[in-house]
This record gives sequence, C-alpha cells and structure tokens, in this order.
Amino acid sequence: MTYSAVFKEHLAHPHNAGELPGATVVVEETNPVCGDRLRLYLLVEDDQIETAKYLAYGCPPTLVCGSVLTDLVRGKKIQEALAITKDVLIAAAGGLPGRKHHSAALALETLRSALTQLGTSTEEKSLNLT
Amino acid sequence: MKTQRIYLDHSATTPVDARVVNAMLPYLTGKSGNASSVHSFGQEARAAVDRARREVAALIGAKQNEIVFVSGGTEANNLAIRGLCEAVSEKGHIITSVIEHPSVRGVCDALEKRGWEVTRLPVYENGIIRVEDARAALRPNTVLITVMFANNEIGTLQPVRELGELVRTERQSGRRSLWLHTDAVQVAGRESIAVEELGCDLLSLSGHKLYAPKGVGALYVRRGVRLQSQSIGGHQERERRAGTENVPGIVAFGEAARLARTEISERRSHDKRLRDNFENEVLRRIEDVVLNGEKEMRLPHLSNLSFRFVEGEGLLINLDLQGVAVSTGSACSSGTLEPSPVIRALGRSDELARGSIRFSFGKDNTDNDVERTVDVLANAVTRLRELSPLNKALAS
Ligand SMILES: Cc1ncc(COP(=O)(O)O)c(C=O)c1O
Repeated sequence: MTYSAVFKEHLAHPHNAGELPGATVVVEETNPVCGDRLRLYLLVEDDQIETAKYLAYGCPPTLVCGSVLTDLVRGKKIQEALAITKDVLIAAAGGLPGRKHHSAALALETLRSALTQLGTSTEEKSLNLT
Repeated sequence: MKTQRIYLDHSATTPVDARVVNAMLPYLTGKSGNASSVHSFGQEARAAVDRARREVAALIGAKQNEIVFVSGGTEANNLAIRGLCEAVSEKGHIITSVIEHPSVRGVCDALEKRGWEVTRLPVYENGIIRVEDARAALRPNTVLITVMFANNEIGTLQPVRELGELVRTERQSGRRSLWLHTDAVQVAGRESIAVEELGCDLLSLSGHKLYAPKGVGALYVRRGVRLQSQSIGGHQERERRAGTENVPGIVAFGEAARLARTEISERRSHDKRLRDNFENEVLRRIEDVVLNGEKEMRLPHLSNLSFRFVEGEGLLINLDLQGVAVSTGSACSSGTLEPSPVIRALGRSDELARGSIRFSFGKDNTDNDVERTVDVLANAVTRLRELSPLNKALAS
C-alpha cells in the first residue's frame, strides 16, 4: 500500500502531538474492533478552539488523523468544528485507503464527543451560576 | 539524500543470490527445452532438473526420487496434507498446532469441514508445542501429525524429532497408518535438516526463503508414502504433480540448495551474530521490550519483539520511512485487523500482540545495518511512545 506524501509527512512529523496541561476538555475514544485509540485535548475560550493536541495509538492512519484533525480544528469556532466531515478529514490526510476510513471515523467521533462534553460542562457551569 | 535501504525481512522472502541467477539464466535463454521432450533440448532440461533434484535431496539428506518439485511452500503443504488424507480410504483424525502457517492451517480447516477430525496442539509461553500433548491427542484413527519445524513469526523450533520418535514407537507397536509431515520452509538453509534423523514422512520446502526465486519449492515424500496427486493430467514428478516443470526455477532452487548446504555454518553464525548483537543493543537501549517466544530453541536469524505502548504497523511504517524493512504479524495476514494469532497463542495481551515486530536477518546484512537499525528503531519507538496514550494517565 502506498501512502501519499502528505500522509507520510504527518506520520514522520506529527503536528500538535502531546499532552495539553490546562485543557478545557480531554476525551479519549477507542475503536472496539481494532483497539485504536485517540485522545484529544482542546483549549477553548469564548467558543473558539484556541489549541488542540492529541495522543494516538494504532495503525498509521489513526496517528495521522490525530495530526490532521488538530490542525483542522485549531482556531475554529465550535460550530465550525462540528461541521468537519469525514471527507474533509480524509482529504486533509492526503487520502486514505477504504479499509482505513475507520481511522477518520474514530477521529471525528473523538472530536464530537469532546465538543459534546464541552457543551454539557458549559451548561453545567451556567446551571451552577443560577 | 537517499540513504541505503536495509532489508530485515528475510523470513518473508530473500533476494535471489547472483550465483543462483547465473545458474538459471541459460535455462531462460538458450537451453529452453521441455524436460519431457525426447530431443536434445529436452534431454538438456531433464538433466538439469535431475541435477537440481539431487541438490535439493542432499540439502535434507533424502534420496533424489523422494523429491517432488512444486510451486512453493504453500503447494507443498497442500500436496502433503490433502494428498495424504485423500490417499487413505476413510476420514480420520489430524493432529496439528495452533501456530501453523496459513497454508497448513487452512488445509486442516478445509478438511475439518469435510468431516475430518482435527486436534490443534497448544503452544506454551515459549511458543513450542509439547510432545506429551501430541501423544495424548493420538486416537485410533489418527492419520497425520503435521507440525511445522520452525515458526515463521517467532522462529521457535518445534520438537519434530521427538514427534518422529513418537510415530516410530506407534508403528513398532502395530499402528500402520500414521504419518508425520513438517513444514520446514523457514528452516531450510538456516539450520541443517536430516529427514532420517527427524523421522518425518513428508517435509515442505520453498525456494524463495533460501535465495532462489519465488514460485518454486519441493515436497519430500518418503519412499513408500502414497499421495493423491492434487494436479492431474501429466506424468511429471512420478505422477505426483502433473504439469511442465518450471525448469529455470528448479535449476535455481537446485543451485540455491547447493549453496545453502555448503555455506550453512557460515550463514548460520553470521545471521546469529547479527541477530544477537541486534537484540542485545535493543534491550540495552530501549525499555519495555518483550521477546516473543523461546530464546534458545529458535531460528538463528530471527527476532520477534513487542514494544509496549506502541502499535506494530505504525512502527513498521515509521521504520520503512527511514529505509528499514521489517514485518509485523504474518506477512500474509497483515491487512486484517486481528492481532497476530501466533503471538496471542503465547498468551500475550492484545496490546503486546499488536506491537510485535519481526526482524529477520540474511547473509548480506552487515554490522552497519544492525547499528543503523537500532538507531532508527530507538528513535521511532521513543517518538511513538511520546504520542501514545497508553502510558499516560487520562487526567484533565
Ligand atoms: C512456514 C511457512 N510455510 C509456508 C510458506 C509458504 O511458502 P510459499 O510462499 O513458497 O508458498 C511460508 C512463507 O510465507 C512459511 O513461512
């Protein structure tokens, strides 16, 4: 299987890799079939994703999707981030073979669950305030 | 700058030796006869096939009429197991192991679907079956024991000679229809093989694992063992494998077998020295590394290691980007998401099974290759561990 130059570049030099102390939200999702894992850290201020970092375990596309996803969400409003689709992610990764699309699915699932958690925690916060 | 690539996947296949190419070339160009033809072209081809047969026989201590040329290890295993089982009149029982190559495992599975009984012997943490288990598994209708000589993923040597003794003892006490097959594809050219000493009836070989081209192999069939041919429609190979002989491939295999026989001790000590240096360096420089399979009773050229918190394919591609070629799982079954069944059979966790990498050395590797591989590997493992969530607490 041949991977694209973009893909290899992300693999050799991942962007935004590592932990993010002080993150607003941290979420980790696992693909139950293959055991791939993605942990996403988001620092959110005023509805905007200021910083995103990630950790990943699994096949190369999963590692690359973490790098690509964090690039994509940085600087985005939450609504914009929610609008990212699998196709956008796959294109940004320089393409993925069909049998590796599950990596993109895992990345999006992790993002959605982080954003949902963010939504709930801000709701909780506002509840506490009242 | 383009760096030299390093090939450490000799258990998947070996590069063809230049001397082997030279030996086969005349049979691709001028000497292009069919070995069944009566004229001088045919006689030339026949003589070359016969010479190759003597060389392959000599490699394993067999007689030349006990060698059947086939297309490779997979076909040899198919012919051995199906050929033997179809030659006996009633469906019986087969004993095999849980770590066989897919070409043995698959044939046993297929026979089981057709009504044969199959016992799959476990391996223990060391990746080796126990002869007592085989003895205990024997049934009155056991026809075949098929256990590989050495495993292709972890290199562990199986007690085939002891299985041979078991079969011999059973025969002495009156059992008539019990045969022993062993898949020696990974062993040939790496450890010496003597079929008489092993006491096996059938033994599979493949050319491309010993510096011959892909697409040629052989099955040793002890004199007197009856097989049902799996390819019908010609008298070739004493009716055991119909079809025009692959003369250039067979010639190449013969030359590769001759070279393997004469060079075996150098190759063995060369590969072992590189492998041992490699392992020592890896264990010295990288933490949390697990050796898969028994350390002593294994092939001299192979090392299978799991790097905790790191997934195998990710590591493999990272090494490949740096020009180092290795493999994870069985070369034939990568692409499936299942962790290696062989490593799982050792009782390892899914995580360790997914993190297993096979490094297999060959005669053209150098000390420099080892040094550079360890550097590249240490670097890649460190980077992937930094990236891994498995060794970091999930705390926000
Ligand atoms: C143990 C074992 N048996 C059989 C085979 C199949 O041999 P071939 O590739 O010649 O069909 C292989 C090679 O992958 C092997 O390692």
